[in-house]
Amino acid sequence: MTLPDVTFADFHPILPALILMLGGAVLLFAEVFLTPSAHHGPAHVSRAHQPIIALVFTAAAALVSGWLMFQPARAVFLGFAVLDPFSAFLSLTVCVGLGLSVLIAAGFLRHRKAERGEFYALMLFGAAGMSLLGVSNELVVLFINIEVLSVSTYALAAYLRRGPRPAEAAFKYFILGAFSSAVLLYGISLLYGATGTTQLSAMAPQMSAALAKTQGLVYLGLGLLLGGLAFKVAAVPFHMWTPDVYEGAPTPVTALMSAGVKAAAFAALVRVFLALGHNLDSHLLATLFAFLALATMVIGNLLAIPQRNVKRMLAYSSIAHAGYVLLGVASLFVSGGAPTGGVLGATPLATGGLTAALRQDAVRGILFYLLAYTVSAVGAFGVVSALERREEEDRGTAWDLDRFAGLVHRRPWWAVAMTAFMLSLGGIPPLVGFMGKLLIFKSAVDAGLVWLAVVGILASAAGAYYYLRVVVYMFMRPAPETGVLPERHGWTEAALLLSTAAVVVLGIAPGLISSWLSQAGKLFGQ
Amino acid sequence: MNPDPLAPYLPMAVLLLLGGVLAVVISFLASFLGPKKPTLQKATTFEAGSESSGHARQRFAVKFYVVALLFIVFDVEAVFLYPWAVKFRDLGWFGYGEMAVFAATLVVGLAYVWKKGALDWET
Repeated sequence: MTLPDVTFADFHPILPALILMLGGAVLLFAEVFLTPSAHHGPAHVSRAHQPIIALVFTAAAALVSGWLMFQPARAVFLGFAVLDPFSAFLSLTVCVGLGLSVLIAAGFLRHRKAERGEFYALMLFGAAGMSLLGVSNELVVLFINIEVLSVSTYALAAYLRRGPRPAEAAFKYFILGAFSSAVLLYGISLLYGATGTTQLSAMAPQMSAALAKTQGLVYLGLGLLLGGLAFKVAAVPFHMWTPDVYEGAPTPVTALMSAGVKAAAFAALVRVFLALGHNLDSHLLATLFAFLALATMVIGNLLAIPQRNVKRMLAYSSIAHAGYVLLGVASLFVSGGAPTGGVLGATPLATGGLTAALRQDAVRGILFYLLAYTVSAVGAFGVVSALERREEEDRGTAWDLDRFAGLVHRRPWWAVAMTAFMLSLGGIPPLVGFMGKLLIFKSAVDAGLVWLAVVGILASAAGAYYYLRVVVYMFMRPAPETGVLPERHGWTEAALLLSTAAVVVLGIAPGLISSWLSQAGKLFGQ
Repeated sequence: MNPDPLAPYLPMAVLLLLGGVLAVVISFLASFLGPKKPTLQKATTFEAGSESSGHARQRFAVKFYVVALLFIVFDVEAVFLYPWAVKFRDLGWFGYGEMAVFAATLVVGLAYVWKKGALDWET
């Protein structure tokens, strides 16, 4: 028999994930072997080191991802995975979100005296799944990685089971997540039935023949696949779980979900539909994504407006942001013509002419938007986690707008940071959220989706209302007299500082990462 | 590429169908053909069974689930090891290395659950 031709260079694209997994294993072992079982004394010391271990491995994974960004695109592991700048940039985004979430979690868990090693280990395992989802080029591998990241986040969502709300959130997330995984898997099986393969590179050239023979099977399979992925990115009408889960999960976990899970699922969505969409009626795909984007932007923003609960408001806002990214995805397919060359590696990236260049711009816009959303949203969740107090969680007032009233008098620098995050999420220049929206709307207009871009701009103008309301409360409402001064957490404040810096610097000078970004539009085989 | 990629699955589909049909047919045949003469003795709990007490839908200790999970993990490991053992000579050192990594990962997991106390039934 012939052995599979696998070399060590094949391991390069999965190195960030391997590092994260190793970090997770180290954390698990540190938890059981180094930590004494007693709840006092040295236990506290060694537990305080866990976020440091997690951060070291996260930084290493981020560095490797940065290195991978400049490696030539190629298929590895017999085409089951790919190495391309797109996945490397995604991996970097995931590491940024993970690192900030770990910092927030360190302050959050210490405040609640819930420091246990599995928390960070699960975060790292989940992030490894996200990083691997970016490189997956085969539908079963893709499914397994979705499960890796999902199972970790299910467990993390249930990590603090105090009171009915977290339990409800975790259970809802688990049941609906399992359901969406099943839908996804069903779609994969139908596509396998239609084309006889699960590898994207091999499936793409089969699509025309499969369409001619079994059109219903292909469309049903793609539809189910889209449904499963749309659940993970929280696109309307698959968004119902989001507010309850985001509200009930521990805030650092919510941060990781909103940043990492969403980014990874979008990467999978882009890769799958770019590979398979060539031979489909591109008008159909564009229409489909355009309506998903329309519904997600409008409904997400409208539902966020009446929320007084800031954490819940951020959940609806994350739906709205998924809508903006979907707008970028839709513009990928408007001008998508037939591929210019072979599918396995032969196509030079720039030869496709205008449409290929536009498509690269759109992919770049999506990636930048995901990074922009990651730093802004994780920062916002950081402020939320610093302000909330566990006594009020069950009453649902832990995240009420009133908790933000007069924050500028109590913790001026938190108020400034939160203002930066809110303005960035609202898309106000010169912050990073504005640059992200600019790139997305530009590619939509370039692709001819002018009406949709206009709707998006109107929706984000409506969104400015609920973001600015938080700012108004922080700066113009008097602090409640009974209000206890929120405790300071060094770790959380470090996360706030870093995200604020990222939000401001990347907004003013996005050119700093332009060399990475210009690379990142390149998908393998596109 | 095979013109009809699903052709190799036909025997499997036939097997599945036959299995299902056979199961249904046999269970119905038994109830049709078998003589039924219930007595009090026959209706009581049989041999090693004991009288049921309480409701079947009660809560079980979570440790049962932990054991079940661990069993599945190592069961799947065994399933992976069999084909590898059959093809051991062909796969050579590459296969050996892959399997060593796989087994080492499981050993790490086992060490974790052991130390964590998941295997202690009493606690």
